[in-house]
Amino acid sequence: MKLTLVKGQEGRPPAKTYPEVAESPRFTCALGGAYAAALAVYGAVPILHSGSGCGMANAQGLTYASGLNSGGPQGTTVTPCSGLIEEHVVFGGEDKLRRLIDSTLRLMKGDLFVVISGCVPALIGDDVDSVVAEFRDRAPVIHVKTSGFVGNGFLGYNLFLDAVIDGLLQPRPVERRLVNLLGIVPNQNIFWKGELRTLKALLEGIGAKVNTVFSDFGSLGSLERIPAASLNLVFHPWAGLEAARKLEERFGTPFEALDFVPVGPRDTSEFLRLVARRLKLKSGKVEGFIAEEERYVYRFMEYLSEMFMIAMPHSFLGVVADSRTAISLIRYAANELGWNPELAVVTDDPPEWAREGIARRLAEGLQGPSVPRVLFQYDSHLIRQELRAQPLQVIFASSLEKYIAKTENEAHHLSVSYPTYDRLIVDRSYAGYRGGIAIMEDISHNFAGPS
Amino acid sequence: MTRDTEREDPSRINLDDITCPTREQRANGINAFKGKASELVEQARSGELRNCERDFQQNSGCILNFYLTVRVATIRDAVMIVHAPVGCSAPAALYREVFRRLWTSMNRAADFDFHWLTTNIGERDVIYGAADKLRYAIEEAVRRHSPQAVFILTSCTSGIIGEDVEGVVAELQPGIEATLVPIHCEGIRSRIIQTGYDAFWHGILKYLVKPPRRRQKDLVNVASMLSYTWQDRAEITRILGKIGLRPNFVPEFARVSDFESLSEAALTAPVCPTYTDYLSRGLEQEYGVPYFLFPSPIGIANTDEWLRTIGRMLGLEARVEEVIREERAHWVPKMDAIRAGFEKVKAGNGGDFRIMGSLGQGRLVTQTPFFQELGVSTPVALCQDFDNLLLDDIENLLKRVGDFDIVVNTFQAAEVAHTARYYNPDMILSCPFQGSAYKREKGMTRIHALRGDGRKWSAQAGYAGAVACGSFLLQATRNYSFQNTMMEKTGDPYKPWWYEQPDPTYFHRKAEASGS
Repeated sequence: MKLTLVKGQEGRPPAKTYPEVAESPRFTCALGGAYAAALAVYGAVPILHSGSGCGMANAQGLTYASGLNSGGPQGTTVTPCSGLIEEHVVFGGEDKLRRLIDSTLRLMKGDLFVVISGCVPALIGDDVDSVVAEFRDRAPVIHVKTSGFVGNGFLGYNLFLDAVIDGLLQPRPVERRLVNLLGIVPNQNIFWKGELRTLKALLEGIGAKVNTVFSDFGSLGSLERIPAASLNLVFHPWAGLEAARKLEERFGTPFEALDFVPVGPRDTSEFLRLVARRLKLKSGKVEGFIAEEERYVYRFMEYLSEMFMIAMPHSFLGVVADSRTAISLIRYAANELGWNPELAVVTDDPPEWAREGIARRLAEGLQGPSVPRVLFQYDSHLIRQELRAQPLQVIFASSLEKYIAKTENEAHHLSVSYPTYDRLIVDRSYAGYRGGIAIMEDISHNFAGPS
Repeated sequence: MTRDTEREDPSRINLDDITCPTREQRANGINAFKGKASELVEQARSGELRNCERDFQQNSGCILNFYLTVRVATIRDAVMIVHAPVGCSAPAALYREVFRRLWTSMNRAADFDFHWLTTNIGERDVIYGAADKLRYAIEEAVRRHSPQAVFILTSCTSGIIGEDVEGVVAELQPGIEATLVPIHCEGIRSRIIQTGYDAFWHGILKYLVKPPRRRQKDLVNVASMLSYTWQDRAEITRILGKIGLRPNFVPEFARVSDFESLSEAALTAPVCPTYTDYLSRGLEQEYGVPYFLFPSPIGIANTDEWLRTIGRMLGLEARVEEVIREERAHWVPKMDAIRAGFEKVKAGNGGDFRIMGSLGQGRLVTQTPFFQELGVSTPVALCQDFDNLLLDDIENLLKRVGDFDIVVNTFQAAEVAHTARYYNPDMILSCPFQGSAYKREKGMTRIHALRGDGRKWSAQAGYAGAVACGSFLLQATRNYSFQNTMMEKTGDPYKPWWYEQPDPTYFHRKAEASGS
């Protein structure tokens, strides 16, 4: 048998390391993130100015990889794409884009057209802004200036919001008690549709008005309404935060950096009280709503308690997820389930400035003696090695960990983060009061019995 | 990128080149046509066919992502490196999970533990180059997994910034025992995604296939498609086994040694001619391994003929005839029952049942006769691609089934929707990931499943597959409530104006088409 080694380097570490070289990272590219955001606006038509495979790579590698989702009516093969090849690299792709936008406006229904430029135009220097500007009098067209190499899918979400703010938004009279929901990143957060819906219902329950921005039927109107909010809520430590800052600067809208989506009654009630204070809502109504919801959910928790105490009590927990999903689940597990969070692998490659805050969020405010070891890592090979080194009974992760959890950790596994190829997620989520019950419903198929 | 060389024999494969020519260069591949199949053949013969630029174009996959990333990643003792920004390899994120659903009790190898890396090209790299990262990735792949081979897949970005992948390979290979295999699949190279298959086989032929140490008289190379399921592999293994032969399946789930020994096989047999063509020609040219391209084992008659061709080429005619007799005795009555089922469907449908399939040209030549076996008609075929590699076979097909309309359109969704509306067939067969093509008043189902589907229900190849697929299609005629309901309750992405145009080629610009 042939030995395969780097000759003369056996056991020697490399001179220089490139941590960004990674096995199956937990995100797509910025173009993919912007594409998913555009698809998430009902009635918007993305127009990819890119190679012909970028959309299909993200259809398989982002929308389908986030709970086996289709891209919706404008996704997969429906999305217009300039399909750039060598002759465009040589002669420029602007004319191709001009013809593509023109034909798209003639052929496709839509009330917003989102041109998303990828690696090829970024490298050959197409003046996409100028081409897009030619169509402004025909339809709302914006340009998300991105590429595959500028960053990851979470950044693509930020760039999409940036293009919306710069290309579309005008000052509006502020609507009292109206909040925008930011930082729930379409597809990179696999529960995004259900989370937006759940959070909207909760906030309306305490008397707020909600613009989910993405996913609802408001379409272009939802985007245009963004400056009317009296408060922006950011549910992620870094995605959506720049947009919130820019909206504050431009329209004077204050924001609340929540860092995570509340899961389970404890954090949900705390979240609602915080928003109620910021919006000066009537505390009687708020407390009445909270009491009713808590009463319901704790009563129903009783129905799962036997299964829970047999199958997975006081478990050592590992989480492999993007920053805000990790925060949400570790808080719920430590503070309501009595689990012991041991390991938190943060996979969304947060910018340096955000990391200390994320680590603090993952360590503070947890009941019990466990404080999880926090790693910022998206390399699936290294994550696997970390998991192997840690006794864990429950692993909340992506479907990349499905068989590893089973065979190498003997742990219950539940896919909660990108990529998720082992379950369909349409409007399910773990947000809000009922989130913990939903987690138990979903994870319990790993362990039925003993009878 | 490609070297643009004039060759005396355009079909000759030049392994001194770093990669293959494009399908446009090699076989006059085209991305658009609408007309009679007979006209298509005629125009191909006279050299009139041209690529076209589309003023309206939609996502259709590129030569890297249709779907090299998800295929190369399944080679068991290799590591794939995608030298690209992070999104180009995103589809391969399914590598650890999806194929584990195939049970080891289904003869699945235990070591389905695949590995791949992205160089994750960033902003800095496009300015300063990413060769150091590629070097590091190759060495890291070797350090981590001790693979037998490392595949390096290029991208639009690595191509445009001028990465010297060959230089890095030449520099590192002497110190590394794993074979380094660069694959030039920059998405911008070609409008025809089949160029990606050729680029892959070029790398295999150039770097991985070894001169034969011995001839393995019972070994048959089978290059499987993405759309060949686990049961299709089992069926091909079974029928080859009955005539004393073994398949050498590449690339899915193969080991590197399976590629190395491609040269030792007795024969290369097709399951998809357009996909296998470059490999088959290369193995014959370099190592004298004979091949044939038609037919594929789809449908009873084609499977008979597939076996007969193998029998003729390997001197196993007598045994093949015995096997065909045995198999027919078992399977033909089942096919007769399916055909009877379709007769009933036709009787309730004005005497005909019209199917429109979205096909690659490989499926076009094999699936169309299969539809005839089922007793359904095919007024029009949608063809992803077309080149002159299969011209003789398409001419033969015309003799067998008569003329039919053909639309070559790289699965452009609006053109497909227009064609579907115009022909209004009783059933549309569509590839996965084809948007809202399922919304119809009549039937629609998938034309095929994918590799990770282990169910007998999803089989297509050989005798068992013909019966399974026939049953599947008959089953698809029973109830259209999903298609109807979604049509009624949700919108269409295109304006009514589009369907009023007489021709789905409305946005084609033939005059300014370029050759590459």
